[in-house]
Amino acid sequence: MNRPHTQDTGLLLLHALRCAGACSTERLRHITGAEASDIESELIDLGVAGLATRLSGELPYWSLTDAGRAAHPSRIRDELESAGARPVVTAAHERFLVLNPELLDLCRAWQLRSVDGVPSANDHRDAAYDAQVLDRFADLDLRAGPVIGELAAALPRFGRYAARLTEALERARAGELGQVTDSTVSYHTVWAELHEDLLATLGLQR
Amino acid sequence: MRWIRPLSAELDGPADLLGGKALGLALLQRLGLRVPLGFVITAEACRAFLRDGQQPARLEHELSSATAELERATGRTLGGTHAPLAVSVRSGAGVSMPGMMNTVLDLGLTPAATEGLATETGDRGFALDSRLRFLTSFAGAVTDADVSRVTAGHRAEGDAETAARAVEEFVLARCGRPVPADAQGQLRWAVESVFASWDTPRARTYRSLNGIPDDLGTAVVVQRMVFGNRDGRSGSGVAFSRDPGTGANSPFGEVLFGRQGEDVVSGRTATRPLGDLAEREPVVWGELVSALRRIEDHYRDACYVEFTFEAGELWLLQVRPGRFAGGAAVRLATELADERVIDRHEALLRITPGHLRQVRTPRIAPSAAVDLLGRGLGACPGVAVGRVATTAEDAVRMASDGPVVLVRPETSPHDMHGLAAAAGIVTAHGGPASHAAVVARSLGKPAVVGVGGLRVNCEADAVQVGDRTVGAGTLLTVDGTSGEVALGSAPVVENPAGEHLARLLGWADEVAGGVGDTADDEAERLRAAQAVLRRS
Repeated sequence: MNRPHTQDTGLLLLHALRCAGACSTERLRHITGAEASDIESELIDLGVAGLATRLSGELPYWSLTDAGRAAHPSRIRDELESAGARPVVTAAHERFLVLNPELLDLCRAWQLRSVDGVPSANDHRDAAYDAQVLDRFADLDLRAGPVIGELAAALPRFGRYAARLTEALERARAGELGQVTDSTVSYHTVWAELHEDLLATLGLQR
Repeated sequence: MRWIRPLSAELDGPADLLGGKALGLALLQRLGLRVPLGFVITAEACRAFLRDGQQPARLEHELSSATAELERATGRTLGGTHAPLAVSVRSGAGVSMPGMMNTVLDLGLTPAATEGLATETGDRGFALDSRLRFLTSFAGAVTDADVSRVTAGHRAEGDAETAARAVEEFVLARCGRPVPADAQGQLRWAVESVFASWDTPRARTYRSLNGIPDDLGTAVVVQRMVFGNRDGRSGSGVAFSRDPGTGANSPFGEVLFGRQGEDVVSGRTATRPLGDLAEREPVVWGELVSALRRIEDHYRDACYVEFTFEAGELWLLQVRPGRFAGGAAVRLATELADERVIDRHEALLRITPGHLRQVRTPRIAPSAAVDLLGRGLGACPGVAVGRVATTAEDAVRMASDGPVVLVRPETSPHDMHGLAAAAGIVTAHGGPASHAAVVARSLGKPAVVGVGGLRVNCEADAVQVGDRTVGAGTLLTVDGTSGEVALGSAPVVENPAGEHLARLLGWADEVAGGVGDTADDEAERLRAAQAVLRRS
């Protein structure tokens, strides 16, 4: 997999904070795949430039400032245009939009199921049902793979999504049920970040 | 004809051939209720299409004959310049697959027919609006894309003709062929797209999860259009014969004046409570109430209908049983037994332990004191009371001082920390599988999504529903079962069907003859009675 050049890490982080909202450094590492030390130093640079700020709390979080939000669109557009990637990303976004309702249906099926004809919370006691839903997730994941592959060929940073989605699915199939819809690294969370990323990269509103 | 049957009171056959929609329309006609004329293409034709990759031989010919018959019966011409006929083309499978398959409205409104409709009605705006509705629904069906993006800018400017051209260009670019200029060509393509929509990956996934065979196919219902967007005395709505949230015996639903049915479902516009019909269109209201009663008598159960009224005349477009859940199901079964529509034994058999599990979910109490701000879809059950925050950042900040209700147009990953901090969640857009709904359920937080007409104004730090404005910090109550959003701290009831549940379980104990009444567990008392009833 392509590793981002060091000089891109600042933009990578700016973009991650734009797509995923407030993030801990650990989460930024998971999102970008960059080294922790690079992340720390780039965040400090972003902080000095007034583009990001550290929110104190139980867990320290980083978040974009208004200036960071204002600076993001032109920088991400420059990246898109200089890579000549707009047509590829536009086409991939359209293919993503076909898959998106199905993913949301699957999340709903994971959380709710009909018991005695009444929609009820899935208590995950029926392993066969859960396995059936996860099989459909795997099928969707196979069809999402080529879409992300095309994106990554044009803009390598998109490759992280394939790795993160696959990891979430594998962990879910190994019994970590929170990896489907619940955790901050769940399939649904990563998928929603990809959706937001496509919109942010193309400068589109929802 | 082999592949097509007229929609009539005599229509009869298996649901997997004719579909639930067509059989419901036939039932409505047998009950003497007004249904637009039309015909149904059987699921067998769809199965042939899916098998062979092309429409069956003779279907095109039969489609022309059925259309000619519809033209004769209505005195109108499909695509004609005088008295043009427009039709709806809707899927109608033997099993319910909500939102999975295609619908095309106002088909037949070619440019010439649109001019004809403008001349006939003297209302060019109405005719152009109808043509744009045809094009957007047609484009959505044949491209599988979200066409609202294509028209968004033009619609905002009220320029229906430019929007129409943009949609036509979109279809040409996507499909490599233009929207047919002739109405029969439109009809053939629309029917094919409904057939094909049976087999999208999303529909296949849905069937796999719900145990529906992949080879059933869908029937296609073609009916004369009734125009809810015709004028101020027209509109569309949905209605239950009783309140699906509580089971109370009074008609319940939503209505939109001057609009077509897809606007009611899409949530783009704030709907009005069904009762508004009583004031604005008392004749339509009276007919609707009596129709609901007649259908209920037939089903011996609560019912649901979709309707349109055009220039003060009511038409029914769809019917099915109400499918109530939880406390509403308990109250419905108990009261149907009180009304001697069903006997007590049947009431007991209609309630499942699944319903009982949901009976004790807290709800906003039905009370005149409740100041209802809006209504959407309940996405995660339970009641939350908190102060309005319009951004995730505000929700996090305000949550340290007490519970917060996060109100957003829709949610995205940006909002995660706000969703986590909030006690309840409300969104303007999205359905039961939207991002907000999925996250709310994962966090177990009461949520209402798709509140019609809700606008979030972050700059003014306020939310608007219709003509009411509510500032940030205002107390709201969210009921994630009924989808109600109320101002202030609304009264909450822990067991809304309590009195009905006690009576129903009393009947259960009588039936079980002392077997179940020692059990603490309500489900056990019900099961004991059902075991006795199923043996006898």
